[in-house]
Amino acid sequence: MNRRVYLDHNASTPVHPEVVQAMLPYFGERFGNPSSVHAFGREAREGVETAREQIAHFLRVGKEEIVFTSGGTESDNMAVKGIAMARRQGHIITSQIEHHAVLRAVQYLETLGFEATYVPVDQHGMVDPDDVRRAIRPDTVLITIMHANSEVGTIQPAAEIGRLAREREIPFHVDGVQTFGKVPIDLDAFGIDLLSFSSHKIYGPKGVAGLWIRKGTKMVSVQHGGEHERRRRAGTENVPGIVGFGKAVELRARDMADEAVRVTALRDRLWDGISARVPEVRLNGHPTQRLPGTCNMCFRHVESESIVLGLDLKGVGVSAGSACTSGSVEPSYVLVAMGVPLDWAMGSVRTSLGRSTTAEDIDYVVECVEPLVAKLRSAMPARAEAR
Amino acid sequence: MIYSAALVDHFRNPRNAGMMRDPDGVGESEYRECMDLARFYLRVRDGRVLEARFQTYGCGPTIAASSAATELAAGHRLEDLVELAEGRVVEAVGGLPEERRHAAQVVAMALRAAARNALDRRGKG
Repeated sequence: MNRRVYLDHNASTPVHPEVVQAMLPYFGERFGNPSSVHAFGREAREGVETAREQIAHFLRVGKEEIVFTSGGTESDNMAVKGIAMARRQGHIITSQIEHHAVLRAVQYLETLGFEATYVPVDQHGMVDPDDVRRAIRPDTVLITIMHANSEVGTIQPAAEIGRLAREREIPFHVDGVQTFGKVPIDLDAFGIDLLSFSSHKIYGPKGVAGLWIRKGTKMVSVQHGGEHERRRRAGTENVPGIVGFGKAVELRARDMADEAVRVTALRDRLWDGISARVPEVRLNGHPTQRLPGTCNMCFRHVESESIVLGLDLKGVGVSAGSACTSGSVEPSYVLVAMGVPLDWAMGSVRTSLGRSTTAEDIDYVVECVEPLVAKLRSAMPARAEAR
Repeated sequence: MIYSAALVDHFRNPRNAGMMRDPDGVGESEYRECMDLARFYLRVRDGRVLEARFQTYGCGPTIAASSAATELAAGHRLEDLVELAEGRVVEAVGGLPEERRHAAQVVAMALRAAARNALDRRGKG
């Protein structure tokens, strides 16, 4: 039996045992609908509101500013469409490397008559605030820029972009799904008006996330129905999920700072180990302004998926930057936007470490990668080098 | 694992990987959508494949299919090999998910090209 090493924490994380314990009663005796007035409903309501307080405390905001959703994708859609549609028309600024939840929401709004500017990124995946400044128009109704990219982990200059947005009184949405609970987010200092954040990236359950909306922000609902979440998001709350999310956030408040230091050191150990032993490998993303656990690498002249498969067979879970599931392969749009040459971009592999990752895990992965890449390269035709 | 044991085995332990010196036939094929590239070298005796070797750039299934195809080719008459069906390669790796059929396609095309090349050379020789 192989060792099992999970290096895909940006995709999802294992639920923390304390989170599971906190959730269990809400599948059983506290099963009620939080909208019901009876004791069963009130118990469920209490769970939801405790979680809201835990998250509000962590973000240092008012609890009435937090809306629970079904996931980061819903939070992003709610923010982007909710802000834009409240203004009926106008111009939106976003970046070329946003998550598809933002990119495709903006593209949809373009079909409704909104206009959009997709600002570029530099070779490290960083947005230049001056590009945002230049993109601002009198009719700009929203700036939406992610805090950190899930593929390469580059952390954007949110505070500088937020300052521009504040000067022009343009709502500023930040997709914080990859940074929430991992690195500090100062909503006031960053000038953020809306923040998307998710549970299953921080050892909480899947199917629950949140959107923080600064008090006074004008927006419309995109999901219509009952009076839930102060009429901002209709639908019965995912009570066990929300309770678990609250607990997960409470644990992050306790563990986040120490873990960031430890995981950053392991991430660097992985890169140092691989770059010292494998020729023609490059690191993607900003050298320092990067998520603690994210290490995205390109192995030149090797195909991403063959590395993912080779490592899977060794018990190691990582993700590929390019995928050919539909019979055609596209290099990652994030790496393309960063100007990574195609012969490198085709061989990109993302590793993302987390709270359970150990130094032994990292050393094992380095041991696996070196012969795997050498083997794949040895079977490769010389002409592929021209790619 | 979505792949068969045979496929995984060929990926893990590729047979006949690498180039061949002075082959009797060489052929290659590309699957542009996926950027896969497979090349086969054949050593031929009395009209039959004595040995086949491959060099492949591609995802796991394409590498595995290349390895399996070198074993499949051995012993075959060139005249048969130029007709090699993609399905034979699929069988040789114990089946392929539908969205990975291109692995067998690019490998079968490259192997047919190598066999054709060997026949052409024989005709000229």
